Amino acid sequence: MLKRPRADTARSPAPDDRELLARIASGDLQAFERLYRLYQPRLTRFLTTLLKRPQLIEEVLDDTMMVVWQTSGNFRGSSKPSTWIFAIAYRKAYKAKARWPDPVEDPEFDTRISRDPGPDEELHHQRQRTALMKAMDQLSPDHRAVVDLTYFHGMGYREIADIVDCPVDTVKTRMFHARRRLKQAMSGSLVDWL
Amino acid sequence: MAGPNLTEQRPHDEAEELLPWYANGQLDAADRARVEAQLSSCAHCRQQLAMERRLIEEFQAIAPEVESGWARLRARVEAPRRIRVDKSPAPRPFAELRALLSRPAVATLATAQVAFVVLAGGALLSLSKPVYHTLGSAPAPASANLIVMFRSDATEEDVRDVLRASDASIVGGPTAANAYLLHVAPTERQSALVKLQSDGNVQLAQPIDGVAP
Repeated sequence: MLKRPRADTARSPAPDDRELLARIASGDLQAFERLYRLYQPRLTRFLTTLLKRPQLIEEVLDDTMMVVWQTSGNFRGSSKPSTWIFAIAYRKAYKAKARWPDPVEDPEFDTRISRDPGPDEELHHQRQRTALMKAMDQLSPDHRAVVDLTYFHGMGYREIADIVDCPVDTVKTRMFHARRRLKQAMSGSLVDWL
Repeated sequence: MAGPNLTEQRPHDEAEELLPWYANGQLDAADRARVEAQLSSCAHCRQQLAMERRLIEEFQAIAPEVESGWARLRARVEAPRRIRVDKSPAPRPFAELRALLSRPAVATLATAQVAFVVLAGGALLSLSKPVYHTLGSAPAPASANLIVMFRSDATEEDVRDVLRASDASIVGGPTAANAYLLHVAPTERQSALVKLQSDGNVQLAQPIDGVAP
């Protein structure tokens, strides 16, 4: 099982996401804050994978969480809360993309990676990470979404299919294709990892 | 295009397709058994699995920032509430204070949320600071330099005593987490803090740095 992002580590007994959604439905701002803190890092990461404009990431994140705040009473529990929330984010991201297509060149790309010189080993690792991010950048948003939901968010292919609203075989095919592209793009540096 | 041994290629492809979810622990028992059977007999798949695990490690290495995002969204959620409060004709601060303090939620705040209060207080302060500066005719505009949460069973009288004992005045709040922003003379802040923190009616008291008048 994957470790979840650090923000999940609340220090008191944590109410589960379903309970939080129920409390949010009755206007409980503290429950909403808690849910936000659980999901913000994961959603930011997911949206960063899908969208290349930082301002758009913030806007879509907030819009997503506002939908959660306003419509959590509609959550019926047929899926996991995370599936419901990520699916909202995915739809919002696609609507935003339609309004603001990705820039042709990504001016932020280089700044996302620290260029501080470090010890050799660290520098080497940094290069590998750069290669990985460049390879990700060359994938389509659909492929990036599946890769990120798998590797970062630790989700299974069925949950991913629910989020991106496509058949499970499509998820598997996208992942297979994406992995091949990642490997090709990183060829040399990837061999060094193993 | 199929390889030379169709009978061996198909389970290989199916298992290889599932490797990412084998690596992240999300396969059901049937899928897992299929992958493990393949792994036991295929060096290529074992090598691919090592790569999957490395990819997971890499993808997990970056953690996004949370605080600025929450401050932004909280302001948006609270905007309609603030407008409603501002429109009330004759505010009665202490009656409101007492009502707010009687909320049981105050006593049950998690430590993580308490930490948030400090940050939220800072955010609220930075929002409200320009307002204080525009009150030219008011006596000595005061910026908050402490943030405090009272116990849920503290009475209005208790709160008054606490504030008087530490020479503090309320300059902001309640925040969403029912905390109050206080001002004390900068030179007395440390002693006021000690008094507040040792007072039985105070659940939390913290300095807010870098915003003293």
